[in-house]
Amino acid sequence: MMIETAELTKTYNGRGGCRGITLQVPEGSIFGLLGPNGAGKSTFVKMLAGLHRPDSGRATVLGQPLGRPEARQRLGYLPELFRFQDWLTPVEVLRFHGQLGGLRPQETRTPAFRARVRDTLELVGLAEAADRRVGGFSKGMQQRLGLAAALLLEPELVILDEPASALDPIGRYEIRSLLKRLRSKGVTVFLNTHLLEDVEELCDEAAFLYGGELVAAGPLQQLLGSTDGGSGINWRFRLGGWLPETWTELTGALPGTLASLLNLAESDNQGNALIAARVTDREQAGYLCSLFIRSGLTLYESGPEPYSLEAWFIRMAESRQGGVRQ
Amino acid sequence: MTMYISATFKELTRKRVFLVTLILTVLFMILFALGVRELAGVTGLSQASPAERMLNGMVLMVLGLFFAQLLTAFFVFFSAMGTVTGEQESGLLLAVAARSIPRWRLYLAKWLGHAVWITVYCAALFLSLVWAIHSFAGLPILIGDLLRGLVLFIWMPLLLLTLTMLGSVYLPMLGNGICSALLYGFALFSGLVEGISVYGGVNPAVEKFALVTGLLLPTDSVYRRSLYELVGGADWAGLAISDMGPFSISNVPSNAFLLYTVGYAAIMLLLGCRAFSRKDL
Repeated sequence: MMIETAELTKTYNGRGGCRGITLQVPEGSIFGLLGPNGAGKSTFVKMLAGLHRPDSGRATVLGQPLGRPEARQRLGYLPELFRFQDWLTPVEVLRFHGQLGGLRPQETRTPAFRARVRDTLELVGLAEAADRRVGGFSKGMQQRLGLAAALLLEPELVILDEPASALDPIGRYEIRSLLKRLRSKGVTVFLNTHLLEDVEELCDEAAFLYGGELVAAGPLQQLLGSTDGGSGINWRFRLGGWLPETWTELTGALPGTLASLLNLAESDNQGNALIAARVTDREQAGYLCSLFIRSGLTLYESGPEPYSLEAWFIRMAESRQGGVRQ
Repeated sequence: MTMYISATFKELTRKRVFLVTLILTVLFMILFALGVRELAGVTGLSQASPAERMLNGMVLMVLGLFFAQLLTAFFVFFSAMGTVTGEQESGLLLAVAARSIPRWRLYLAKWLGHAVWITVYCAALFLSLVWAIHSFAGLPILIGDLLRGLVLFIWMPLLLLTLTMLGSVYLPMLGNGICSALLYGFALFSGLVEGISVYGGVNPAVEKFALVTGLLLPTDSVYRRSLYELVGGADWAGLAISDMGPFSISNVPSNAFLLYTVGYAAIMLLLGCRAFSRKDL
């Protein structure tokens, strides 16, 4: 595991922050950290980057205890609200970060390092601005430079805190492509973002934080399948020939366990209905299709519910809000 | 460590801190040199004795160095008051502190980066001031006295830098600037009060007050010892600067006190390293 935490806790005078976070980030994956504002995501990320000291719990990053220089040498970090020295150029910023990362001053003047700086700036689309002062950069350009600094020393693990927040759609597309390339090279990416489409497209695994606590964690498709983390597939059936008494007849004809899987999501006076079911596999969905047809209904559409991280995110947040109210 | 010396230099030059400071300092030096030249001419015309000319030269030097220490103190405040919390607030520290360099080394590197350029500025200011007095007012200065005075004159802002940087770990930038400036002003004020008090004989209360403020922030004590060394130590200081009102030196800090300032700086630096290493950024 590239990151492993056990009951990691950090609060600010007993309030806020995050509590008892236990999760693992596998090597070579893109891991997304999700949660509404104030969920404790940034606190958690800052602990991983060695910027915050945990109150309690244990954690290892790249096999080393939190904050150890040995781990930080192999780690690239892009903070959320950061700024680089206005008075430096990107080349100077990267040379400075090379030295902060353990290179000797003379090592940052070698042709190999200069080539590395050039390549990294090209990778993030800043090659043409390499010798301009950072002070004149837009927020998006600063973000790209931050990414370049994180990737400069070819880290094994990259922790990115809102990497695409200041970028335009083209920039976001480029960052997504870049992250995919990093994964293909075996680099592990830990992504804290509010952009759910990025998580949907990129992440292999994700974790959801709410109110400072870890609510769910695991492979993304598994998480999207349920709000409780259980197994199964959400399936939808769009039907015609629906009558008000059909629901009673239908559920009465099914064994109790199967009937409990069905949920009448929508129905109207025109004879249309939408039934949602949580089925264990495709065969079970097929059996339900045959049942609807045998009951005299017209089956217009049948298929797994499309993944929607946004819907999942909202469901998770609402279920926690309900829990809190109770 | 050297990276921060060059990084601080780039910051000072490109943010034009150095340029503005240098222009104003050069302006001050020109005015000062012209003033000294004019005054020396006046005393020359009035056919003052060599002893009188020397005393006048010493008075001019004390006033010049007093103003110079104010300049260096403000240079320290404005360049170092936001070293930690200022950079934390602006987001500059986040990417830097996440690197593999240990925090204590980062803190020391920042201190060194500032210290080198403060030393350069201080030395240039001190030497040009003394040169002006020596050349235009004819004040004889021995090389040994000059070096001792210079080292102590540089030590004063370095002490201030150490305290200001420690404050920047705990206090927001503006709060730290105000706090450091007030402490410095407090030490300066106690030195001036002590200077005036010599006219009324020994005053134990004032002496204790000066001692306590000197222990809290020994900048003024080091400055007075610097002056004492520059004007010739025990040979001349008593004659020259014991009768200059608030600028008089009634009590010269001892060598033991100078050792205390070394310990003071070391402890302040250690506390700063420790606090910065434990700080949540």
